[in-house]
Amino acid sequence: MTVSRFSGIFGHLDLWTILLYAVIVVLGAVSIFSASYNENSVNMFASSHFYMKQAVWIGIASCAALVVLLLDKRFFHMLAYPAYFAGLAVLVAALFFGREVNGAKAWFEFGSVRIQPVEFVKIATALALARAMSSYSFSINRPGDLLKVGMIICMPLMIIILQNDTGSGIVLGSFLFVLYREGLNKWLCIPILLIATLFITSFLLSSTALLILLILICTLSEAMMSGEWRSRIVYLAALALSSLLIWLVMHFAAPGAVTFYGALLAVTFLSFFFIAAYAYRANLRSIFLPVALFVGALIFLSTTGYIFDNILKPHQQNRILSFLGIRSDPLGIDYNVNQSKIAIGSGGWTGKGFLQGTQIKYGFVPERHTDFIFCTVGEEWGFLGATAVLILMCLLIMRLMRMGERQQEPFGRVYCYCVASILLFHVLVNVGMTIGLMPVMGIPLPYMSYGGSSLVAFTMLLFIAVRLDASTRQFPLESQMP
Amino acid sequence: MNGPADSLFRMRLLQGVVLLVFALLIGRLAWLQLFDERYEEMAKANVLRHVVLYPPRGEVLDRNGEFLVQSRECYDLMVIAREIDKRGFDTVRLCEVLNIPIERVRRELANARMRPRAPRLVASYIAKEDKLRFDECNFRGFYTVYRTVRRYPRKVGGNLLGFVSEVTAEYLKRHPYYQAGDYVGLTGVESAYETVLRGNKGVKIQEIDTHGEIKGSYMDGHYDSLPDPGRSIVSTIDARLQLLGEELMRGKVGAAVAIEPSTGEILMMVSSPTYDPDELVGRQRGNNYMRMLRNKRRPLFNRAVKAKYPPGSTFKVVQGLIGLQEGVLRPSDLHECHMGYQVGRQRMACHAHSSPLDLRFAVATSCNAYFCYVFRDILDNPKYGGVKEGFDVWKEYVHSFGFGRKLGSDFLDEGHGYVPDLEFYNRRYRRSWNSLTLLSLSIGQGELGCTPLQLANLAAIVANRGYYYIPHIVRRIEGQDSLDARFYERHYTMVDPKYFEPIVDGMWRGVNVAGTSTDAYLEGWDVCGKTGTAQNPHGKDHSTFLSFAPRNNPRIAISVYVENGGYGAAAALPIASLLEEFYLTDTIRRPELLQRIKNMNIYYPSYDR
Repeated sequence: MTVSRFSGIFGHLDLWTILLYAVIVVLGAVSIFSASYNENSVNMFASSHFYMKQAVWIGIASCAALVVLLLDKRFFHMLAYPAYFAGLAVLVAALFFGREVNGAKAWFEFGSVRIQPVEFVKIATALALARAMSSYSFSINRPGDLLKVGMIICMPLMIIILQNDTGSGIVLGSFLFVLYREGLNKWLCIPILLIATLFITSFLLSSTALLILLILICTLSEAMMSGEWRSRIVYLAALALSSLLIWLVMHFAAPGAVTFYGALLAVTFLSFFFIAAYAYRANLRSIFLPVALFVGALIFLSTTGYIFDNILKPHQQNRILSFLGIRSDPLGIDYNVNQSKIAIGSGGWTGKGFLQGTQIKYGFVPERHTDFIFCTVGEEWGFLGATAVLILMCLLIMRLMRMGERQQEPFGRVYCYCVASILLFHVLVNVGMTIGLMPVMGIPLPYMSYGGSSLVAFTMLLFIAVRLDASTRQFPLESQMP
Repeated sequence: MNGPADSLFRMRLLQGVVLLVFALLIGRLAWLQLFDERYEEMAKANVLRHVVLYPPRGEVLDRNGEFLVQSRECYDLMVIAREIDKRGFDTVRLCEVLNIPIERVRRELANARMRPRAPRLVASYIAKEDKLRFDECNFRGFYTVYRTVRRYPRKVGGNLLGFVSEVTAEYLKRHPYYQAGDYVGLTGVESAYETVLRGNKGVKIQEIDTHGEIKGSYMDGHYDSLPDPGRSIVSTIDARLQLLGEELMRGKVGAAVAIEPSTGEILMMVSSPTYDPDELVGRQRGNNYMRMLRNKRRPLFNRAVKAKYPPGSTFKVVQGLIGLQEGVLRPSDLHECHMGYQVGRQRMACHAHSSPLDLRFAVATSCNAYFCYVFRDILDNPKYGGVKEGFDVWKEYVHSFGFGRKLGSDFLDEGHGYVPDLEFYNRRYRRSWNSLTLLSLSIGQGELGCTPLQLANLAAIVANRGYYYIPHIVRRIEGQDSLDARFYERHYTMVDPKYFEPIVDGMWRGVNVAGTSTDAYLEGWDVCGKTGTAQNPHGKDHSTFLSFAPRNNPRIAISVYVENGGYGAAAALPIASLLEEFYLTDTIRRPELLQRIKNMNIYYPSYDR
């Protein structure tokens, strides 16, 4: 019985996904070999080389994949919440007992092996999200459920940001992708994206301008959502007029006592009472979502300055400033990105050939086997090679989405989309930073960057999706809930 | 809300987002890798190091094949800090072997440790002998690089030959060929023939890593090149004459220039005070240079081509020639002179001599009054209708003799001298002036300024009876059949050659019969000469002498100018005469005169105060 069930599983695996995965992992190993190969080394197979270590990690990752495939799919469903809370606990533990690497206190050290729990927390969060969103009574547009989903995403995100590993934290933000697929109103997605942009650029704008933008974003998206335009425009006009009035009166009565910012803020908060009254009379509960968004964003934005000055390390501040073009310093903070662009840009059509990349070989690109592994691809295999890698990644992501669509249960679908969104975000940010499209965030390129915990975690992440998919195909008629 | 149609739409939209993200990444990749060329250049700049191989600089010989400038091999000591023996090395021993101060080595080593794998210069000008001893010692991490520096076997011709120095930042900006650390000729022959002498650098392209460590040769040396040695130059200078000239001018400030009239070749060019050119080579160069800069007599100023001196009576030769050509003077014309020339209250003094006198005697005895008549006749020539027009004609003549302009020699920093023009006098005298106002010009005083080279060229013009070759310092360039075409061209003055004979006769009489220049007499050589005594605001009169010999087929034309030397016959004449004697006869039969002139020291309150 058991034997036949397992053989049945292996008969229904999505071979395309596994093939894509295998090709990408092999390409990654080849790139790591090229990036860390040292022709003067006495023993090419010494275990101290990164490529030898990576080979070991590939073995471990394969075992992990096998174990995942052998587990029953109900196991993942069952384990989702315990794993999630265990993950949170580990994150908090890392915050207190972890080891600091590159300014991020996000690592555990066991002997010579360093584990980054964040990588595994991504799996747990994806599972928890899938579990929450697949429960029978769940509706994405009910504020209570949405709040729950928001909590699931934001709790680990907050802790990770506290660990000073902003890049990995923001990865979880990519679950917005999943929420949209599951029916989140686009007029909530768009303001969230806009506010995220505002957050990055917040120190370019004055606080008054930020406040005005926030009010506009939230009110207009609410108007788009409900379709009620007139009352929202009236609301905006009333806000503007009354705050201007207060400001002018105070300006002549007691000059300097109240700024326009203060007046606008006070009027906005006062208006919440009217909004609440309006919502109860019209029985329009959804209006509280933009309000909550506004309050959250306001708290977030007003602390941005504080976060930027006090929590972000100087190197992170500089990266953001440099990315936004506020500060340019080719020998300092821009050095990494500059050298990475040089390495990739000098690749041309077909690249310089295996082990022939001068920028890689002679060490001009820092972190060339980890975060900047894509430089090796770009320099040695050129535009054709780099594009091929990107197309492989794209195919994998599309394949995952396709797998998600064919799931019979929301659990599998949500999970597959979670994996797709995490991979998409990683590829976008990692490749984007090597070619100067994104600020340097220090997150790995999935399956290619050197790093044990990252490889194993991404492998497990992917193979859980494969496992869920396999059982869907094995028992196409199985009922929705186990 | 969450029906199948909506789900499908949402999936398609998300697929679109994914494709858009990858399109964006691939588009940016295409821009970086396929269209933006800069990155390839930057990658090369990162990884390639161009190691310069320096060629030996060309040498300079005198006209008789004797070395004036030699190239001596020397070495730069370099270090790669990482390769130094970990157990340390004997710094004191290294300094002893190479003769370099220990503080310097310690300082440079500290700097070298900042980039431990990059080569760094520790000391330059390591002598060959020291380098050989160093090679025996095996100091790990240190090595030497071949360079050449200058050596001057005769120790003559400081300003003439010029010096070589490391390029300055400003020079680098204007001359892209050079790189920091290159040597370049900055003055004299070194700068005029820089491209010939320097040769071409070779290059060895190496690949380096991010720490500056050398990883190998680029493309197996396909783009490497060997240095092309500088070519040697045979100069027109006679080293022995130059040495004698410098000895004779010692203790005096001024210049002496000798030209071979039949070719325009400069036989000797002394600017005094001069300096030992070896002082501007090697580690003491900077100190010596600063000392010379502070010297008030300005040894680095090449007076022979740059100074502006009033020509004094030597200029009477030019006045006479212009007068003859203009027809206002015939050689037989007699003028009265009783201790000077007087019109109204204006008076030009003269010395005692018989009166009246003709042109030949006026040149021989250097009569001031005679040339006042001549000069006024030229300016007030009724043919031109006014003094201003007459002055312009006079100025054209003077220009044709090479005054007031660069002669076009191969000295890059040749001076113009100065010949005033109409506007100058119009401004100074508010347009109301006449030939009497400019009377001092008639005897080469006033505003006239001539370089010693221009004066020597005048001597050559008279010697040639009316033409000159542009004076030049180089006779032959290795690997080149001829010099610039301008040096082979005869340049005629505006005065017809037939008018020169009476002037030459006057100059011959001044030496051989009776006149101011009889001391310049050399038996059998028919020396012709003209003294000059120029009043000046700096003190005693300047002493100058213009001469050529022999009278027919002259072999040497010479001009000597001694600042504050007194009468022309007092300082300049004997110097010129001794030089002529030495050049023509190879010996000097007047040892007492030689000693007296060598030991003559003139006191210069204007410089030494």
